[in-house]
Amino acid sequence: MSTNGYKVIGSRPIRHDGVDKVTGRAKYGADVQLTGMLYGKVLRSPHPHAKLKGIDTSKAEALPGVKAIATAADLPQIADKIADLGEAVVNLRDSSNNVLAYGKVLYRGHAVAAVAATSRHIAAEALELIQVEYEPLPHVTSVLEAMKDDAPILHEDLKMTEMGEETDKVSNIANHFQHKQGDPEAGFTEADMVIEREFETATVHQGYIEPHNATAEWNEEGHLTLYTSTQGAFSVRDQLVEILQIPVSKVTVVPMEIGGGFGGKISVYLAPVAAVLSRKTGHPVQMTMDRDEVFIGSGPTAASYLKIKMGATNDGRITAATAYMAYEAGAYPGSPVGAGAGCILTPYRIPNVQIDGYDVCVNKPKSNAYRAPGATNAAFGSETVVDELAEALGIDPLEFRIKNGVTEGDRRPDGPEHPRIGCIETTEAAKSSAHYGASLEPSSDGKLRGRGVASGYWFNFNGGRSAISVSVNDDGSINMLEGSTDIGGSRASISMMLAETLGLSAKDINPRVVDTDAIGYTDATGGSRTTFATGYAAHATGKALICEMKKRLAQAWEVSADAIDFKDGLFSYKNDEEKRGTFKELSGKIGGTGGPLVAQISTQPDGSGGGAFATHIVDVEVDPETGKVDILRYTAVQDVGTAIHPSYVEGQLQGGVAQGVGWALNEEYIYNTDGGMTNSSFLDYRMPTSLDLPMIETILVEVPNVSHPYGVRGVGEVPIVPPPAAIANAIYRATGTRMYELPMSPPRLASQMAKNA
Amino acid sequence: MKKFAYIDATSVDTVPSLLGRRFGQAQVLAGGTDLVGELKEYIATPDRVVNLKSIPGLDYIRQEDDGLKIGPLTTLADIETSTLINDQYSVLQQAVSAIASPQIRNVGTIAGNICQRPRCWYYRSEDFDCLKNGGDTCYSVRGVNRYHAIIGGGPCYIVHPSDSAVALMSLNASVKIQGPRGPREEMLDDFFVLPELNIMRENGLRANEFVTEIIVPASKPNTKGIYVKVRERDAIDFAMASVAVTMTMSGNTCSEATVVLGGVAPVPWRVPDVEQFLQGKQITEDVASAAAEMALREADPMSDNSYKIEMTQNIVSQAILDLA
Ligand SMILES: Cc1cc2nc3c(=O)[nH]c(=O)nc-3n(C[C@H](O)[C@H](O)[C@H](O)COP(=O)(O)OP(=O)(O)OC[C@H]3O[C@@H](n4cnc5c(N)ncnc54)[C@H](O)[C@@H]3O)c2cc1C
Repeated sequence: MSTNGYKVIGSRPIRHDGVDKVTGRAKYGADVQLTGMLYGKVLRSPHPHAKLKGIDTSKAEALPGVKAIATAADLPQIADKIADLGEAVVNLRDSSNNVLAYGKVLYRGHAVAAVAATSRHIAAEALELIQVEYEPLPHVTSVLEAMKDDAPILHEDLKMTEMGEETDKVSNIANHFQHKQGDPEAGFTEADMVIEREFETATVHQGYIEPHNATAEWNEEGHLTLYTSTQGAFSVRDQLVEILQIPVSKVTVVPMEIGGGFGGKISVYLAPVAAVLSRKTGHPVQMTMDRDEVFIGSGPTAASYLKIKMGATNDGRITAATAYMAYEAGAYPGSPVGAGAGCILTPYRIPNVQIDGYDVCVNKPKSNAYRAPGATNAAFGSETVVDELAEALGIDPLEFRIKNGVTEGDRRPDGPEHPRIGCIETTEAAKSSAHYGASLEPSSDGKLRGRGVASGYWFNFNGGRSAISVSVNDDGSINMLEGSTDIGGSRASISMMLAETLGLSAKDINPRVVDTDAIGYTDATGGSRTTFATGYAAHATGKALICEMKKRLAQAWEVSADAIDFKDGLFSYKNDEEKRGTFKELSGKIGGTGGPLVAQISTQPDGSGGGAFATHIVDVEVDPETGKVDILRYTAVQDVGTAIHPSYVEGQLQGGVAQGVGWALNEEYIYNTDGGMTNSSFLDYRMPTSLDLPMIETILVEVPNVSHPYGVRGVGEVPIVPPPAAIANAIYRATGTRMYELPMSPPRLASQMAKNA
Repeated sequence: MKKFAYIDATSVDTVPSLLGRRFGQAQVLAGGTDLVGELKEYIATPDRVVNLKSIPGLDYIRQEDDGLKIGPLTTLADIETSTLINDQYSVLQQAVSAIASPQIRNVGTIAGNICQRPRCWYYRSEDFDCLKNGGDTCYSVRGVNRYHAIIGGGPCYIVHPSDSAVALMSLNASVKIQGPRGPREEMLDDFFVLPELNIMRENGLRANEFVTEIIVPASKPNTKGIYVKVRERDAIDFAMASVAVTMTMSGNTCSEATVVLGGVAPVPWRVPDVEQFLQGKQITEDVASAAAEMALREADPMSDNSYKIEMTQNIVSQAILDLA
């Protein structure tokens, strides 16, 4: 039993899907095999921006083995319609045009046509035979260039929205919004020290190991079944319904196991194309991307430009801050700048604040969510300025953060009031950690060492819909159906909450992630919502089962249901020794009181319970001769609400840090002057390997979420937020060089150190 | 991948005729860690792939009177773990253990490593009809050339990708080559060719020749070697810059040295001036930095890669000082 008074929550049972995954038996999207299945491949634009003048598919169609070819002409024309997919808001007309280009191609890698053939090789060969006539147009691949008045325009019909109102201005800037509180100018006058800096971050990819895939079977009755790797089967269903303009009752989406998503597996890329090819051929069609396609043809996250100004008094009180944030949306509007602006200065109580966000189209793949979308870019800027301010004022950087930290009742810069949150508790835990207390020994071989810290916030998308459906077996075990795809161990943690509620153990629960016909609507696994919301539904389902069990026992025991007690896992009637037992013991003894015990709950819990805060500490060693940075020690401290399964919570923290280290040190889309990505492979797009990371230490601070029965707070996203800033601050302490651009790779850092020398 | 005939070779003698006289028509296959990628991406489009692994006895590490003999199919992992190589030719062991990842070293071979094709991202992309792919432009010149050559480039600016070749050249190694008229031997110094001599290839092998042995002269007493490699991440990464240095010392005076740079030129780049300069010198910090400066004297960086000059100078002087 753990220290928190729970029996199951806080323990570390083996996950239900673990053995299948480590033995290679788990079925992922590309494992699907259907009788008569064809293989589809996508033809992609070699131009970053061009008019589509014509597509001639006749030669490709004549190739033996080719069964069908699809272009945008096979998709219905659809009107503008805004849809909320959980982590990102999209215009479905844009989604349709992104899936197969219509009229124009907007980035190198944009899908233009697709072939279904009897083998992958024939499909690939057929692509070479499709003749596309392009009229190349000037392109723009950087946010600041794209904002200029004379920049090439991606969408002639896109009118800029300015502070919530559509204007007449045709621009790549889709949207400019502002959050403002107090009087920033007055706040800066009040300050003794003001620092203003500019930052740039690169386009980066989520880097999930499993590439996108979709297998579609459109049968003769007009019913479409789609097997795919996705964070949200219902989101995929919604997109198919809209893009293909078919009734929702005609679509079933079957979520396969998912090899990583991180926000990048909610939007569809291949699914509608595979569906169209299946309809055309009458065969099932499977499509998979290769890694190059994942890089150039899916949804990386936004590169950005930030300008941040902060002022503080000599005694360390922040008086004002402004942030100018311009994010690349990619080919269609919808960068994560909104989320970034909601997180950027949130760990601090700032009386006078103004944030301006710009969502800007550029000729790159449509940007997508990536773990705490927008917040990592933002914190790289703001947490560097906070560090500089603390240093200029001669205050310990964590002390400075504690002094200005937010608590319950403070307002976020974007408006809402904080409920009970763990910002200060987290920073204090970092300050008193063994890591922060240990001194950093200098290197013996001329390398430079330094320690940096940074904080971060992610508001958690706690709301949304989740459903759970259970049936109880005679031995008291439970089959639990859910609609949340399991990326980080959620089968285990959701089962644990049901088990806790009923006094069972985690292994008494048999969790199944099922298709969209078999369970109530469930929003995508994203926004750190799943353990919160689906766990909420699991708890409610447990309560419903207890209620039902009491009714059944009332019949069996011939007493009133109200008089039956359920406490500490035991049902009892007064002090009657005959009339007592655990859920497990009794569930086989209620025969004749009605059919099998079942329950089903659909919820949309109150999501106002507050976000997650993190503070990270990192020690780096910089080789002054090469500019290479090694991470010596890393500690991630975070308010995790209640750690349901601590191992998976720690895993989330470590995974977030690992990705954040990639953002910090190596990862970037390197664009050629012709608008193409030069490094679209895992060799040249460098994600950290196990050798590049130390063991990442974690400290779990538990400030329970008041709007969840078990205090769950989303934990999965905020850990990616602090690393780039923490590492930049550590590099500065080591070398005296401040880095304002990501990634801080050896060529960049070496050049910058040489400039400063 | 284009369709090709797959042939299991059965003896060294038969390979040249299986390869034929025209470049590009046929390609030998060793571990396949490089070739398979090239085939998949349509960079290599041979009609025939000739498998060498079906020839028995090409996998060995032997010490003979006149030096060390390594079979062409010896895996990088076997070299990395050979005590003989570790004891007497440690620079090679250091270089090989810095290659790629354990998985690739288990499969990749030493001859394949020396003969692997460059990793220039323009050359490796189907979208660029670059000089090496038979086109008329080197896209790195006006494109992104962060990882390209700073010495010896033009008209193509690849860097040679092999770590082992840099170390082997510092050991004065040579290769045995089988052709239609029998075997020949060539110093590695002469084996690699600059783009100005042959834009399509990185070495002087003819279309119907292949490497059958690597020969390293016996190690001399009081000689040590070091390989220093700079890469962005600690595994699965080619050199941004590297250097192999061997020095024979009497006391703290260098009586003989070899210095070879990697990751900066289209071939492993030997710097004879520096080798001569070091001869007879007491190794001090000043000598090391003078040598480092001399090693990069010919450097002519492109728009994005001047950082490599100082980086390479730094590792050259570090390597020299470490051996003293
Ligand atoms: C992800 C990745 C990272 C890598 N990192 C590094 C690195 O850091 N440093 C490094 O040095 N290398 C690196 N490599 C390259 C790798 O070491 C080589 O691919 C490998 O050594 C090639 O050996 P192989 O036996 O697999 O050759 P193959 O792929 O079979 O052949 C490679 C080439 O050599 C030719 N060839 C093979 N054998 C002979 C022969 N006997 N005679 C003539 N020609 C021959 C083939 O025709 C082909 O063109 C990396 C490769 C990958 C995929």
